[in-house]
Amino acid sequence: MKGPPARHPEEKKDDAVALEGVIRTAAELAPGDRVVYPNQGVCRVVGLEQKDIAGQRLELVRMTREEDGASVLVPMNKVASVGLRRVASAELMEGVFHYLGAVSDDPELDWKVRHRDNVERLIAGGVLGIAEVVKGLHSLSRLRPLPTKEREQYDNARHLLVNEVAASLGVPQGVAEDYIDYALDPPAGVKFQLKPPPKPFVLTIPPYRRKKPAVAAEGDLGLEDLGLDLKALGVPVPDGEEAEGEAPAEGEEAVAGEEAAARPSKAAPAKPARKGAKKAPARKAAARKPAARKAPAKRKPAAKKPARGGKKK
Amino acid sequence: MIRIVTLAPFDDGDLAFLTKTLYQAFGLGTEHAGDRKLPKEAEGAREGLDAVQLLEEVDPVRVIGDDKVLYLTAAPLSMKPGPLGEPPCWGYAQYGAQRAVVSTARMPARGATEASIEVFRRRLARECIHFVGHLWDLHHCYDPRCAMHPSWAPGLPADPEYGLDTFCREKSERRIRLAKT
Repeated sequence: MKGPPARHPEEKKDDAVALEGVIRTAAELAPGDRVVYPNQGVCRVVGLEQKDIAGQRLELVRMTREEDGASVLVPMNKVASVGLRRVASAELMEGVFHYLGAVSDDPELDWKVRHRDNVERLIAGGVLGIAEVVKGLHSLSRLRPLPTKEREQYDNARHLLVNEVAASLGVPQGVAEDYIDYALDPPAGVKFQLKPPPKPFVLTIPPYRRKKPAVAAEGDLGLEDLGLDLKALGVPVPDGEEAEGEAPAEGEEAVAGEEAAARPSKAAPAKPARKGAKKAPARKAAARKPAARKAPAKRKPAAKKPARGGKKK
Repeated sequence: MIRIVTLAPFDDGDLAFLTKTLYQAFGLGTEHAGDRKLPKEAEGAREGLDAVQLLEEVDPVRVIGDDKVLYLTAAPLSMKPGPLGEPPCWGYAQYGAQRAVVSTARMPARGATEASIEVFRRRLARECIHFVGHLWDLHHCYDPRCAMHPSWAPGLPADPEYGLDTFCREKSERRIRLAKT
């Protein structure tokens, strides 16, 4: 069983990126531009402004979300990495509709794989990725009702797609949603003359990597995400982070170094390391053989015994 | 409050059934707020009235806060064709806003027998719940038993149910709770 076709088969799934019309620098933005913020929706650029945050002057791009007028502030040096992109063009949107109208593959039945893929597509923020989520979950819903989490994910993805279709084609949201469902669920007797789906965007920038929460150092307040100079603030900076800004090659090494440094720190406390070591093989074994699921169940009572003894003391 | 405004003559029994059903679906008071004339500006080049234009040009009704206005018409409606063609237009709602319009042109004929009238009323109630649901930010639902399922979908039975499914009902209740009034 397969889900929607992979967009970059040669690419690791962790490296999924925002694709079409991605904005690389803040200089490309002008007041009044309509952009798409991944997982948030269509925003309108208000302008550039400076703000004093933690004693430092930051240059920020101010945007308002069109849906509810909420303000969004993005540091200028983070414009590329957050996955900001322009609203899809009418030509691209036509391709998306041809994709929605095409006969879908069998949906992915492994919920873990499906959920991870869908989350990555939504975080990446490409319009085709959102359409893939909607179409994938829609085709799955024909087989069985979606679980609550995926039902919410389906509704969120649909909301993002409706907003972008409305912005791209210049129609109200109510009409945009009818267009989408007309493609997904055409009335009896209607057949579309479909074109091949749009080609994937060729990547020219390093993929947007999400930060792993486990790697974050203790006491990290996220100041670096705002583009603040941590040295000037007197905050101790790990070696890997200092090297990140120097050069791309060194930055990669630094990231590798961070991960390497994080591994021993994870292993340092005895109990979490043991738990992690036991869980990982157990999960793999459970995925491969149903008989292996019994193994952790047998261990449980053994683990409870010392706890009872502890209570008695 | 949901205010129903008729743009064509409707039977009192049909309107009574509709107000009762909308009240049950959303827990909001519903009343018939009078009649209005069809705006001529909505007549476009396409067959049927332009649904988007109709809602912009129709005479307004006095509303308070988050009141929703539902216009009922017997005239066929249409909308701008999309990338794959023009979807069948059963009505149109300003998503998350105040106005919606529902047409009975595509519904089964009302007829004169009790059975046909019942089928007509149930379908009218379903479509009205569907478009009022859009006014409360509800999207289309994949479940054919839910009123938010697309009206033209091939999986929809001839006499569909007119209630909301659990997800849509809870979402609409959340939205209504957050409303100003």
